[in-house]
Amino acid sequence: MVNSKAWMVISLVLTCIIAAVALSQVYSITRPVIDDQAAEALKASLSEVLPEAAEFAELEPGTVWSADDAAGNRIGIVCKTSPRGYGGPVTVIVGLDTTGRITAIGIGANIRETPGLGLKAREAWFRDQFRGKTESEVALKRDNGTIDAISAATITSRAVTDGVKQAITQYSHYLSR
Amino acid sequence: MTNPPSRWQYFTSGIIKENPVLILMIGLCPTLATSVSVRDALGMAAATSFVLLGSNLVVSLIRKVVPASVRIPIFIIVISTFVTIIDYVLQAYQPALYRVLGVFVPLIVVNCIILGRAEAFAYGHGVFDSLLDALGKSAGYALVMLVMGSLREILAAGTWFGYAVTPSWFRAAPVLFMIFPPGAFFLIGILKGLVNRLTAQKT
Repeated sequence: MVNSKAWMVISLVLTCIIAAVALSQVYSITRPVIDDQAAEALKASLSEVLPEAAEFAELEPGTVWSADDAAGNRIGIVCKTSPRGYGGPVTVIVGLDTTGRITAIGIGANIRETPGLGLKAREAWFRDQFRGKTESEVALKRDNGTIDAISAATITSRAVTDGVKQAITQYSHYLSR
Repeated sequence: MTNPPSRWQYFTSGIIKENPVLILMIGLCPTLATSVSVRDALGMAAATSFVLLGSNLVVSLIRKVVPASVRIPIFIIVISTFVTIIDYVLQAYQPALYRVLGVFVPLIVVNCIILGRAEAFAYGHGVFDSLLDALGKSAGYALVMLVMGSLREILAAGTWFGYAVTPSWFRAAPVLFMIFPPGAFFLIGILKGLVNRLTAQKT
């Protein structure tokens, strides 16, 4: 019976049905939790670059947020760009205060740069170099700027600086409103 | 019935004598790709162990009703179901761990260790023996990942689990080559040679 042609088909179909039911159950249980986690992670990544803000209001979906204090006054903006790195897009999150200076930058958690090289862009010493800088200062030292590149990871370093620069030129007009 | 010592071997043989990576030479791709740091390596080993246990358990349970001619597609469905479940569960309840393992979890589907054990062991053995086999092969895999991850992280970054363990002059100019794929091939060749020497002397 086990090796009959009919059972061959039935057993495969049964396996697929059981797997599909199990997966749809797990999916419906975990999906809302995953969405909550993603929303929380986004809020955390925004607060990381502008910790003084109490609330973030989306100005452009997924790219620019207005950072407001508890009274609802805008104290800066947070923007997100995805320049091209060595292993794919590098998510860069930039916080700007009302004078247009960088408060801090953050690097997305899911970037695919080389561990030990490009991935060092996440380390504090690299990110802290951007603090307080204005648009004209943001460039690698070899490109006549003020940022030290990560050794042996120029592509990633340049991607991050380009992303920060792009964020400022593209979105700082929101600051004047 | 078999006596306890021989069943115990299903577990112990996976560690050195039938080590999945160094003796059976399967699952090399994820081993080389994810052993860049000891933390990533052990995370991958943990996730793989979980899927291997689940897959060996289910395959040994259903082996009597699975027709031989369609067993491979059925195994693949079982394995990919487990991998997807773990992917969702980690993402929902262990987001910190998922951020480290994220890209590696889907890779487990194509890890030949899991399909290999389903085909070569669980399809012909009972539930208990299959679980012992899964535990043994997992231990052997974790051991290789621990050694590869430790050596590559120490040599290429001068750190172990992220802590500095080498003098600062070394960390200033580490053996960067070890982080790249050629470094991984180089290291696994040396490990394979060492294990060959060890097992040859024993017999």
